[in-house]
Amino acid sequence: MTREQITSAILEIFRREFEMENPGLDDNLRETGEFDSVDAIELLLEIERFLKTELTHEEKQMAMEIRTIRQIIDYVELLAKKRNENGNKQDR
Amino acid sequence: MNNAEAGDNRRAAVFAVRNRIRDFAVTVILWTYYSMGFVVFFSPFYLSALFFPAHREAAFQRLNHWFHRLFFVLLRTLAPKVKWRITDAVNDIRSSVIIANHLSFLDPLLFVSLFEKQKTIVKSDYFRFPFFGWILRTSGYIPSLAEGLFAANMVDQIKKMREYLAAGGNLFIFPEGHRSRDGRIGPFDQGAFKIARLCRAASIKVVLIRNTDRLFPPDRFLFNTREEHVIEVELAGSLEPDYESDAFSLPGLMAEARSLMERKGV
Repeated sequence: MTREQITSAILEIFRREFEMENPGLDDNLRETGEFDSVDAIELLLEIERFLKTELTHEEKQMAMEIRTIRQIIDYVELLAKKRNENGNKQDR
Repeated sequence: MNNAEAGDNRRAAVFAVRNRIRDFAVTVILWTYYSMGFVVFFSPFYLSALFFPAHREAAFQRLNHWFHRLFFVLLRTLAPKVKWRITDAVNDIRSSVIIANHLSFLDPLLFVSLFEKQKTIVKSDYFRFPFFGWILRTSGYIPSLAEGLFAANMVDQIKKMREYLAAGGNLFIFPEGHRSRDGRIGPFDQGAFKIARLCRAASIKVVLIRNTDRLFPPDRFLFNTREEHVIEVELAGSLEPDYESDAFSLPGLMAEARSLMERKGV
């Protein structure tokens, strides 16, 4: 999964679920006032759907510090990479 | 001032003092029940529920329900001038997200007393209280999400909520977020409705509460047991949103809920 694919998927989630068209990647989501903590939970559920796996408690905790869409993309990229590596290990 | 007027004034003053003493006594009895009654009568049941992890949450909710039922039995006994009218339509609510107006601290306690399976959203700060916070957490109540962009355990709570509602549980929420000071319905916060959408709640019940603020006004320590009035809890209407429809919108859902309340003259 490439960073471009992840970016496009995250932006699509923001458009579809939160009715936010073209949000700035570095905007502080909390400060824009359009994205509250219930939305954050919805986003985590969407990320689970996107990755097709449940997030661990530690992974959810990691998300507590996220403030911008760019950080969300970094976060999903990291999770995807981790799952990919775990998948490769199991294949060996 | 003649003697008759002076006598009337004296009697009025004595009457006022007697009423305040009565209110004070009722308040002390009720809050003593709330603290000591819990420790003496209910804590053994809560402790025994700990031995059954699989049913712990349901058992805590049931115990909360009975604890608050007794609280209201006591309140009704001590405040006989206040009449209560809670419609069957409200008592029969199951498997629903309940949206209600908020007038008094009594409102959430009343809902806990009405429904055996009940969850609600509680101010996050209360979860930090040493014992009370533990009861709230074990009962499966949800923190108000005021802090942190992501609340890790909330994801699990929301996932379980669909199943909980399907099994007959109710989630009650006060979308105004705080008690009304003038009896009118304040602006709704989207959070309640977003949670309903997240849980795909098939049924949203809009409930109207009247006059709990006259019995226990906001920002007052004492119950007001002197006034005769009727506390009413009635179903203002039901909503069955189609979340998948293109026509669905959160502001639309909020407006519908609000209009159901306003139609009842609030």
